[in-house]
Amino acid sequence: MSSSAELTYASRSSARQTTWIAALLIVLLTVLVLPPLLFLLQGAVTVAGAPGQAARFGLDNFANVLGGPRIVTTSLATLSFAAGSAAIALVVGWVMAWIVERTNAPLKGLAYLTAIISLGTPYILYVSAWLLVLGKAGPVNQAYQALTGSTDVLININSMPGMIAVEGFLWSPLAFLLVGATLRNANPELEEAARVSGAGVWSTIRRVTMRLSLPAILALAMLVFIRAIEAFEVPALVGLPGRISVLTTDIYTNMMARAPPDLGGSSALSVMMLLLVLGLLYVYGRLSRHAERFATITGKGFRPRPFDLGRLRYVAAAILVIDFVLLLLVPMLMLGWLSLLPFPRPFAAASLKLVSLNNYRTVLASEHLELMINTMLVAVATATCAVVLTFFAGWLAVRRGPGGWLIERLTTIPLVFPGLVLGVAVMQVFLRVPIPLYGTIGILIWAFVISYLPYGMRYCSSGMVQIHGELEEAAAVCGASALTRLRRIVAPLLAPALVAGWLFIFLMATRVLSLAILLAGPRSQTMAVAMFDLWGNGQSTELAALGLMWSMLMAMIAVVFYLLARRSAAGALGRA
Amino acid sequence: MTRRIKTFAIAAFAAVVVHGRAFAIDSAVIDAAKREGEVVWYSTQIINQLVRPLAAAFENKYGIKVRYTRANANEVAVKILGESRAGRPQVDVFDGTSTVVPLKQEGFVLQWQPDAAKAYPDIYKDPQGYWIASNLYINTPAYNTALVAPGSEPRTYQDLLDPKWRGKMAWNALPSASGGVGFIGNVLTEMGEDNGMTYLRALSKQKIANLAAAARQVLDQVIAGEYPIALQIFNHHAVISAKKGAPVDWIKMEPATGTLSVLSIHKSAPHPNAAKLLVDFIISKEGQQIYRDNDYLTADPAVPAREQTLKPEEGHFRVHFFSPEAIEDNQPKWKRIFDELFG
Repeated sequence: MSSSAELTYASRSSARQTTWIAALLIVLLTVLVLPPLLFLLQGAVTVAGAPGQAARFGLDNFANVLGGPRIVTTSLATLSFAAGSAAIALVVGWVMAWIVERTNAPLKGLAYLTAIISLGTPYILYVSAWLLVLGKAGPVNQAYQALTGSTDVLININSMPGMIAVEGFLWSPLAFLLVGATLRNANPELEEAARVSGAGVWSTIRRVTMRLSLPAILALAMLVFIRAIEAFEVPALVGLPGRISVLTTDIYTNMMARAPPDLGGSSALSVMMLLLVLGLLYVYGRLSRHAERFATITGKGFRPRPFDLGRLRYVAAAILVIDFVLLLLVPMLMLGWLSLLPFPRPFAAASLKLVSLNNYRTVLASEHLELMINTMLVAVATATCAVVLTFFAGWLAVRRGPGGWLIERLTTIPLVFPGLVLGVAVMQVFLRVPIPLYGTIGILIWAFVISYLPYGMRYCSSGMVQIHGELEEAAAVCGASALTRLRRIVAPLLAPALVAGWLFIFLMATRVLSLAILLAGPRSQTMAVAMFDLWGNGQSTELAALGLMWSMLMAMIAVVFYLLARRSAAGALGRA
Repeated sequence: MTRRIKTFAIAAFAAVVVHGRAFAIDSAVIDAAKREGEVVWYSTQIINQLVRPLAAAFENKYGIKVRYTRANANEVAVKILGESRAGRPQVDVFDGTSTVVPLKQEGFVLQWQPDAAKAYPDIYKDPQGYWIASNLYINTPAYNTALVAPGSEPRTYQDLLDPKWRGKMAWNALPSASGGVGFIGNVLTEMGEDNGMTYLRALSKQKIANLAAAARQVLDQVIAGEYPIALQIFNHHAVISAKKGAPVDWIKMEPATGTLSVLSIHKSAPHPNAAKLLVDFIISKEGQQIYRDNDYLTADPAVPAREQTLKPEEGHFRVHFFSPEAIEDNQPKWKRIFDELFG
């Protein structure tokens, strides 16, 4: 008898259907992922010659990345940065998700608001706001100096803890949404059994709830760890002034020293990341081999009920409020303050006379409409395509369908593509292939979908693991074909993960900067270009105004979408 | 006698035609450009302040649509190289402080200069006609006038070595002429290799803050009070901010670093005549006026900057100008010195 986690076939035609789906998916994924992968591999072994000399093949790029004079300190810094960020993102995200999805704490909306608005805020603005709040001339250090009379700073944000905190906070919305989706489908029977047997709240969480969300936790840890190793903006903006360098800051700053940039070092690092990812996927595969252990949606019926925390509800609510204040209110207030000034000034009474609404007037008068429409189109199309593809991919991978192993790897490999390498690879493809996507928003959508496949895959496969195979088996026995089972059983049950994944990818796609700028043609410019323009021109206060209005707009759209999706998904699980 | 004059005339004519990369825009070019209908410009300059007004003025004058994109020099170079190597160039005109060099090396740039270039000083144009400067950037230090009393700011390079400025200066740490890397290049050019390296080693003890941000943001941080002194920022930015009331002023430390934003035309431009017309327009008095009106430093010596003292001629200070080739060829070396001493 096949393991209950695996696919069952109602008939030969259903088996053929599954094979067709798998084949089509593999072809699509290969077309998407293979060109940048080949370009990456080629770039890693191509050694640029001196100006005027031809390039040749060699392993010099790897030697350069691994052989720098400070390689030990830099590598250690990179690893601790990555591990620390993953830990913070996980802890913050998991705690928020548990409080919101599994308890009866009040003020749950705050957590969603925090996640959505911070995801919709342009990256540069968010980090800059933090730097201004915690910088030498920022309100925290100013207050400390005023209170104690010392000239030292209380918080030095340009340090490794500062870098870890900022990067960790940036990724916590992802953790919140992903773990939240899995906890929403958690089965309370096991927890209740634990409580009835005498386990306390903490014991139950530790031994039951956390264990059940292990696939999601592992997936998330892998995702954030890899992205943090590849991150450049936070280590550069936060770490460089404190003289902390990680692998990416060394590689990228060397890359920028001449035009065109030498992609060798960055490609070599990514190839090493690729091997790490494949290794982690192998470990992940072994750990979740007995996937049915994690299944919480079974044929036995399933009514998720929140934990009654009693008086601890208010503690939980306090945690939500602290999260809201730290991750959202403080940066937004700083941005709001900036947006009212003609140039950046610290928060002091003397600056109050400079306050005006001029920046908002200028932004509203500017011609951003076409940019906004392009950005929205790209984001919606990207999120939809990525979620649809990873829906089938997650199903095949978790159910060990034909090609599942390959599909899982194909969808996860884009995690290691640096933005510039991906952009150049996609450009090369469409300059040579007779499909007229170059210079249109089509090429942007193509590149973004490739970028976000790994995230969609994590949402869908984590959600998929929770659905016990016996439900599909029952349908198969009744004669349902693969597509019918997908449409009527899997999709509705996977809805929380699909919705969360769509939301996440949509918001991320609206704030991509470098890839959007590289691939945008004259007729396909996005908001990223307008923001980059203001940033490069030093109109940071105008950018603060634009960024705030943009995040509010994105947040409103996301909230509307989320409420609609929840209402329709609730019906599938039979609860209000 | 007549034969000699005739030979001379033919030779002169031939010399002008062959050498004549600078030729006037005549009605034939204008008509051809109008038939082409549009021109594509990959720019590295600010859209709101410069590209849009220039495009609007050009469209007003000739009725030819300007389609533009904005990106950094690196991205523009990557884009154009990719398009050119694939044989499908989409770009007509491009600009930048060093973008043209790799493209020139692979033979993708047209040798052509507009008539108005004849009046430009030699350092503002490529002797082989591959580029012409549209505006200048002057990099100098600047200081926060609320944190440093005017009169006590550092005025010479030696002043920067004073221990009282330790930990109080900031610059752009990303490889760029308007950052630590460019500062190093300027010092080496001015003082020579040996004296320059001695000076830089002394400067490396000053704990200059490495900001991973463009010169404009470095200046913003100084304005916001994070650091009293900014090195290697754009002097016209300091003036623009001061006009809005920011407590900042630039320091006329000699020699300043000068870079040129240059315009070039793609060799296989899809709209060659419109491209020539656009470059001609930007270099003409009309185009240069738009630079001036937006507080940029015009390359045309006959059009002064709005704030007169910003340009070396009117402000009477010495500037080392670095051509695009000088930057491209030397930046890796300057970056290595930066990593070694200041990283």
